[in-house]
Amino acid sequence: MSASGTALPLPNDLEATWSFLESGIDQIMNRLEQGLSYKRYMDLYTGAFVFLEVIHYQVVCNFEGGIYNYCTSSRMNPGFASEPLAGPGSNINNNRGANLMGSDLYARLISYLERHLTQIRAESEQYMDENLLRYYTKQWEKYTTASSYVHHVFRYLNRHWVKREIDEGRKTVYDVYTLTLVSWRDNMFSAVQHNVMDAVKMLIQRQRNGETVETGLIKLVVESFVSLGLDDADSTKSTLDVYRDHFEKPFVEATQNYYKTESEKFVSENSVTEYMKKAEARLLEEEGRVQAYLHPTTFKNLITTCETVLVKDHTDIMWDEFQNLLNMDKLDDLHRMYLLLSRIPDGLDPLREGFEKHVRKAGHSSIEKIAAEGADANMEPKTYVDALLEVHKKYNDMVQNAFRGEAGFVASLDKACREFVNRNEVCKSSTSKSPELLARFCDSLLRKSAKNPEEGDLEDVLNSIMTVFKYVEDKDVFQKFYSKMLAKRLVNGTSASEDAESSMISKLKEACGFEYTSKLQRMFTDMGLSKDLNDQFRDKMDKDNEMSHVDFSVLVLGTASWPLQPSTTNFNIPEEVEKTFQRFKMFYQNKHSGRKLNWLFHLSKGELKTNYIKASKTGYTFQVSTYQMGLLLQYNKETSYTFEYLKQSTDLTPDVLIGQLGTLVKAKVLLMEVKSEQKVEVEETHKTVEEDRKLLMQAAIVRIMKTRKTLKHVTLVQEVISQLSNRFKPKVPDIKKCIDVLLEKEYIERVDGQKDMFSYVA
Amino acid sequence: MTTGKIKLTSSEGTEFVIDKDVGEKSILLKNMLEDVGENDMAIPLPNVTGPILTKVIEYCTHHRDDPVITQDDDSKKTSDDIDEWDSEFCKVDQGTLFELILAANYLDIKPLLDLTCKTVANMIKGKSPEEIRKTFNITNDFTPEEEMQVKHENEWCEERTT
Repeated sequence: MSASGTALPLPNDLEATWSFLESGIDQIMNRLEQGLSYKRYMDLYTGAFVFLEVIHYQVVCNFEGGIYNYCTSSRMNPGFASEPLAGPGSNINNNRGANLMGSDLYARLISYLERHLTQIRAESEQYMDENLLRYYTKQWEKYTTASSYVHHVFRYLNRHWVKREIDEGRKTVYDVYTLTLVSWRDNMFSAVQHNVMDAVKMLIQRQRNGETVETGLIKLVVESFVSLGLDDADSTKSTLDVYRDHFEKPFVEATQNYYKTESEKFVSENSVTEYMKKAEARLLEEEGRVQAYLHPTTFKNLITTCETVLVKDHTDIMWDEFQNLLNMDKLDDLHRMYLLLSRIPDGLDPLREGFEKHVRKAGHSSIEKIAAEGADANMEPKTYVDALLEVHKKYNDMVQNAFRGEAGFVASLDKACREFVNRNEVCKSSTSKSPELLARFCDSLLRKSAKNPEEGDLEDVLNSIMTVFKYVEDKDVFQKFYSKMLAKRLVNGTSASEDAESSMISKLKEACGFEYTSKLQRMFTDMGLSKDLNDQFRDKMDKDNEMSHVDFSVLVLGTASWPLQPSTTNFNIPEEVEKTFQRFKMFYQNKHSGRKLNWLFHLSKGELKTNYIKASKTGYTFQVSTYQMGLLLQYNKETSYTFEYLKQSTDLTPDVLIGQLGTLVKAKVLLMEVKSEQKVEVEETHKTVEEDRKLLMQAAIVRIMKTRKTLKHVTLVQEVISQLSNRFKPKVPDIKKCIDVLLEKEYIERVDGQKDMFSYVA
Repeated sequence: MTTGKIKLTSSEGTEFVIDKDVGEKSILLKNMLEDVGENDMAIPLPNVTGPILTKVIEYCTHHRDDPVITQDDDSKKTSDDIDEWDSEFCKVDQGTLFELILAANYLDIKPLLDLTCKTVANMIKGKSPEEIRKTFNITNDFTPEEEMQVKHENEWCEERTT
């Protein structure tokens, strides 16, 4: 100690020690900007240290099964040990001595802070508004920086005396830094907080009015109020009570009043859409305000309040405006309305209802329009499905964009679509019209056609079909039509693409499950099996040397999966095919005994090659139904048969036979002599001959009268007969009729006073 | 770790230049450097002698990379967990050991204070009051009445050891 050569006070002298420390604290508190040397810092620490020096140490050690506490606690400073007051070697007394010294020092510190802060507060009284904020925050920063120095200088007090007091449950003893905060709260904050808050509110109001203000001041006030929240139960913990009660509460109240006034005024002077923009901007601004200079916990309270004042109190006008925005497709405004109303509980419910109603109406009117345009009974499937899709797409886009795909709006859209897809102008007679048209549209896409879309596009169209399908209620109807048309495509070989077919089926499976598409899938399996079967059959024929001059292929289709009806007529297989037919039957029965084969000749077809007319070297090939094949093959033997004969030879029912023959006659493959029809034709011809003759006779009369000018009736008749005799023999009554017609038309006239005399009228 | 140098002056005025992170094992120095900032001035340590400061620096240098223990738990502390280096470090005469305790306490180096106090505790462990007095050269200043009372108060631990 003596070697250090400093003017440190004697450790046992409280007054000297305190006055030494006080001058240091004062320097830190008031003149820190002038700097503090290492030496001054160390002297202050050392001064407090030697005054209090004590070693209090506790060791708990284990040995020989017991736990013992060893306490070494003694004043080891030699200078102090010789001090008679403490008494040599008395641990208990020394501790007590250190305690007293600690509390002395602590009490002096408290009263110093009180004096210091009273001064600061007195000075603050000359300031108001922004100047007060500037003063408060400047003093606060200076004070807290200094306090952290003092806290460190008094670390020895903190480590021992304060720690023990707190350990022993004293609630009113704090570590030195906390003590400075408590002191500020009690001596400074409590006196000025009201004015400070008024100034803060004023500043924020000016910022809301569009002025640029020094927000850093508010940020510091917030920091200060937050720091002052000390937990009374445990001084090492902090609470937000001070900030909440003295900052947040008045601030949020002021906010509420401000926006209540502003929004009411704005609404009365502007449109709803303008108001929504305003409210959106204000909410954004307040969210930014929290981030910029408020405590994050204020967010909820502030924003909820703003939402109430800016949105909830104006829901009626927004709800009322919604239909207008829908009518005009104002997506931006709709989006804004959605965002605003989604902030408050139940704000969106009326929107969802209105939206559903609107979509339903749009769907209905779209279908009404196409129903009015097209022939109602023969609605083009594509037109119908496109109309449904167009409405769905428009409003689905709206849900995704304007309403952010929110589940409630999705549900509203689905509900509306389900309604207008199943019940509309086109399907007013029955709901099964929609699935039927949808299935027909599928067929038109999947069938071979020049209009088939590209593969990539096709996938898109199929997906959009699934969109409509999702809404169809009578999915069984769709399935019926779909499987019927699929069967037709497969049997007739008119399916455009196997990939597209299976893609569509997997989509249906995904939507309705395995059961729904099992039959459709079974149909594809049968097609594959049939192909193998044909191969096997051909191999067998080759092996048996039973070469046939007939190309033969057969589809074996399970009755349960295929929606095919047996034929209503019998049919005798043409003998040319009979042999192959029987061999296949044998082949199949050997393979699968017990299975029954029903032959659907009405769905079968064949190709015939002609030898009798040759447009080119190869001759024509006829693609015909099996029935037609049965008919035509007979003409290899003779060139003419009666209807009755053909009926017997083919065993077809008359109506089927007539239909088949009709096609052949129409194509002029067969010629037909039908008596009844000839008669009619003759009569027709007769009629035209009569007409022609009339014209000829009239022409002759006019010609004769033109040259003779006047003529007797008898002479005229004779002249007409002689002129036309090389063509035909006119009858006198017919000539008389013609004369009458010409008299009427005023080509000729009777000569007055002379009986049976005619003259020509120029 | 990049770190600057700091200058320390012992009570007799001897200057020591050490790495900053070694010095910051002392909470006193750490806080002060934070508050005042770094400069070229020497930091006077009026309470620590040169030889003791040398020992302290040796300890801090050896433990410079130890993690900082912020929250210690007294109940888990025993005097049996001293490692080899530390126990070699403490093989010094009693006077030096007590001065080390004082310095650790002053400089606020908790692990060194723990170590030196544990060493003293181990010197006491298992000894009778008379042996302890002998070890630390303490004269018995209790009156016989006082001694009886202390013995009575500490009977619980006497029973365990016998």
